[in-house]
Amino acid sequence: MEDLYVKPGNQERGWNDPPQFSYGLQTAQGGPKRNLLNKRVPPPQLQGSQSPVPGGAPPPKVLSTPPLNPLAPPPCAVVTPPLPCPAPTQHADSPSAQSECEPNVDDIIGVLGWALTACRESVKKQVCDDVERRLKIFEEVWRAGKLSLPVKKRMSSLAEEMKSRNWERADEIHRALIVDYVNEVSQWMVGVKRLIAETRNLSADKLDQIQSPVHSSEACPE
Amino acid sequence: MPIAICRTKMQFSPSCYVTADSDGSVGGAQIVVTRHSSGEQEPAHPHRFHSEALMATYQEFIQQNEDRDGVRFSWNLWPSSRLEATRLVVPVSCLFTPLKERPDLPPVQYEPVLCSRANCKAVLNPLCQVDFRAKIWACNFCFQRNPFPPSYAGISDVNQPAELMPQFSTIEYIVQHGPQTPLIFLYVVDTCLEEEDLQALRESLQMSLSLLPPDALVGLITFGRMVQVHELSCEGIAKSYVFRGTKEFNAKQIQEMLGLMKPTQQGPQGRQPVNQETAVACRFLQPVHKVDMNLTDLLGELQRDPWPVPQGKRPLRSTGIALSIAVGLLEGTFPNTGARVMVFTGGPPTQGPGMVVGEELKTPIRSWHDIQKDNARHLKKATKFYEALANRAAVNGHCIDIYACALDQTGLLEMKCCSNLTGGHIVMGDSFNTSLFKQTFQRVFSKDYNGEFRMAFGGTMEVKMSRELKVSGAIGPCVSLNTKGPCVSENEMGIGGTTQWKICGLSPTTTLALYFEVVNQHNAPIPQGGRGAIQFVTHYQHSNTQRRIRVTTVARNWADAQSQIQHIESSFDQEAAAVLMARMGVFRAESEEGPDVLRWLDRQLIRLCQKFGQFNKDEPSSFRLSESLSLYPQFMFHLRRSPFLQVFNNSPDESSYYRHHFVRQDLTQSLIMIQPILYSYSFYGPPEPVLLDSSSILPDRILLMDTFFQLVIYHGETIAQWRKAGYQDMPEYENFKQLLQAPLDDAQELLQARHPMPRYVDTEHGGSQARFLLSKVNPSQTHNNLYSWGQETGAPILTDDVSLQVFMDHLKKLAVSSAA
Repeated sequence: MEDLYVKPGNQERGWNDPPQFSYGLQTAQGGPKRNLLNKRVPPPQLQGSQSPVPGGAPPPKVLSTPPLNPLAPPPCAVVTPPLPCPAPTQHADSPSAQSECEPNVDDIIGVLGWALTACRESVKKQVCDDVERRLKIFEEVWRAGKLSLPVKKRMSSLAEEMKSRNWERADEIHRALIVDYVNEVSQWMVGVKRLIAETRNLSADKLDQIQSPVHSSEACPE
Repeated sequence: MPIAICRTKMQFSPSCYVTADSDGSVGGAQIVVTRHSSGEQEPAHPHRFHSEALMATYQEFIQQNEDRDGVRFSWNLWPSSRLEATRLVVPVSCLFTPLKERPDLPPVQYEPVLCSRANCKAVLNPLCQVDFRAKIWACNFCFQRNPFPPSYAGISDVNQPAELMPQFSTIEYIVQHGPQTPLIFLYVVDTCLEEEDLQALRESLQMSLSLLPPDALVGLITFGRMVQVHELSCEGIAKSYVFRGTKEFNAKQIQEMLGLMKPTQQGPQGRQPVNQETAVACRFLQPVHKVDMNLTDLLGELQRDPWPVPQGKRPLRSTGIALSIAVGLLEGTFPNTGARVMVFTGGPPTQGPGMVVGEELKTPIRSWHDIQKDNARHLKKATKFYEALANRAAVNGHCIDIYACALDQTGLLEMKCCSNLTGGHIVMGDSFNTSLFKQTFQRVFSKDYNGEFRMAFGGTMEVKMSRELKVSGAIGPCVSLNTKGPCVSENEMGIGGTTQWKICGLSPTTTLALYFEVVNQHNAPIPQGGRGAIQFVTHYQHSNTQRRIRVTTVARNWADAQSQIQHIESSFDQEAAAVLMARMGVFRAESEEGPDVLRWLDRQLIRLCQKFGQFNKDEPSSFRLSESLSLYPQFMFHLRRSPFLQVFNNSPDESSYYRHHFVRQDLTQSLIMIQPILYSYSFYGPPEPVLLDSSSILPDRILLMDTFFQLVIYHGETIAQWRKAGYQDMPEYENFKQLLQAPLDDAQELLQARHPMPRYVDTEHGGSQARFLLSKVNPSQTHNNLYSWGQETGAPILTDDVSLQVFMDHLKKLAVSSAA
């Protein structure tokens, strides 16, 4: 899952900066929490003695390794793992571990252009021109190789969703993109955002009148 | 209404009336204690009821009540006279979370039915007695008999409206009438930032335009030496109005200068007056979906403050005037409408009204030491200035957030009231280019299970109660609405003298502490068998712009404190009590000297132990506390050491920040702040909670500590050595790898849920950052007593602080002393 990842915080600027969660992880309303860490141990009852307080039951002698001369932790054969394996989805450290296939910019521009053409009839010219200008910037930075692969791939799925008129999903992808890659996309993404908002207001008839964008994106082997 | 809520797992006393029993099953348990003695199904008669079982019962009851009504009382049985209540030390009080998230509670589409008595107006609720035939209900607060409105003509025993059903002790109504106005977000942005910070802030603000509700109104004010109010037009050239940062204008002047007055008044600079007031306001506050593109550009082009900053000087920052213009702008255009002023600042205000420190770098910003020596020049004046602004904002229902990111102090001490009185957020970070700021800011716009924003506006919370009770006050992010009445106590605790408070900004976790007083005198106690009731009525603007009313009605039994003291003791909620007493302590600490507050807290604790401890006079070793109080002294021990009451090693800004969060979070989070949670991970079993004690620091353990503001992962000495040796990378030590991973995963879950983002520390034995753990644990082993313990029982802490053991020994001595 390329949109679920955690990257380290900015230790240069922030003292003990926490890790940064991707939009997908932050909005995922996971099921019940795995471990609710909210328990406390009552203090050893208020007996008068001054004895030190043990931190729970003493470890079984058989298993413990000499603490001052730690040769090795107990190998798997000796001690069973304390916890089931953590969920694998959360540990793709960087967003780069993805398939190599690069989406085709023309397909995406095709869809966005189709939507913009549909808008031209009813939406103010100035707004359309402004959107167009931003789509141009998008195309330019893409062709200049300034966009990372995850941004390209997500833009491709965004275009797919627009083509299928899943405005809500397209909008959600736009939000994820601007949260996760704001420094790459801030200049032009707002054009895409506006385009989604304007196009979803159009009637289905109007959209049908405009010829749908051509499919050519099946070039990518899955 | 297709709602079914699982009411209860326990039915102790089937003979009692469940219909009138809004507090669910353990109302049953209490009934067992005091009434309905005739039933043959009474296995739970007091003297046969083992105290531990009663305790377990109460724990379940407390949890159910919190889940359903968002309420936690210090006592779940109430003493029947004022004197007895005083003797219980901890007042009858509660923590109340007005908008607690209730996925299982869809709002009803009609409005509440009110009691017709003019000075009561309580809302019809499950505790009211209803005559279905005569279509009449009796108010359970004033006993007025009210006819049902015509729309209730069809009700009967089997056809009841939701608000009469016991499971709807909390219910939410959607108000149908009234205008729906969009939410308003006004950004107030400091431009005296380093380029890196400004860039990060630009991006965060641009990003936020995608997170805001599309029809929300948004505005932009920037400030440095000057203050600029930006006109947001959809077309044409961007204009802005520039104000000097040194002169304050009143609301009317600001509106005049911005051309917001009615057409009769000519705006400045020969500007054309515009016909409609809203249209005028629109120049500065525009719907996001209309101006998103222009505003993105405007934000992208924001420059650092152009005025040169000479060597040895601070930049001139007009935070006070900027904020005053923001408040004035909203006051003139959208009074009584949900609005959020969001101030982003990278340093202290240095000029004009509200300045906190002068321009000269050689004069440092005030410290606690300066304040104690009465040597903080600007403190009083600045505080007064911001308090006045905060009160104006509160009157209009607007809340103010402060996002302060800088390494040095930024003046939160002076400005805190802006957020504390209006329910706004305060976020404190080192830089805008940190994940701490970015994610905390994002989470302001987080959504709930319904896809709705976790924010509400313009709340008023009113409390109504049985005539045996009076309300002494509230502590939380609110202001008084000065609603007097017969049920207002003269004995103020917190913000008192009223039955209504205003909370301009609310989240699902915003929690108020409310303190009550029992009215009846000792010689005329409340007769047993009855119950006291409290109703909370919260009006607010939902983030979807609907006006809503949430009503929670709860009841508890009265008990005679002499014959039933054990039952009262079992009904003690020590967690709630600790937080409620702590809020009082923190409230006092704002105006009293630190040592006085500690002494007050100590006195309360000693009195509580004298009242409920079991002991022989003058025999400390005989002292015992029952299970329902067993954690309480430990909470007080950690509270005394906490940054909420100790200012040592914290700047005034930090203290303000910590206290800000402490007096608004819910019980669970507040308790974490008082006594951090410590979990231990080892090969010997699943992760387990351990004592917050130096003895828990063992070489073969990994510890995870949560203090709310920090998450610390600490690797014991041996674990750290193994990790250094790289065992986690060898296939035969896969289990070690998993052991290392387990606390990371748990920490991640905590990080994902928390607002604001905590700082995150990954350290090990001997690491310099281990100090975060060492400063929080109880120093049971120190350099002073190390040799008497022998070795390897934990980690000695180099401190002269008193340990829990010593604290407890003193407490016992004082509690059992016949001199006391």
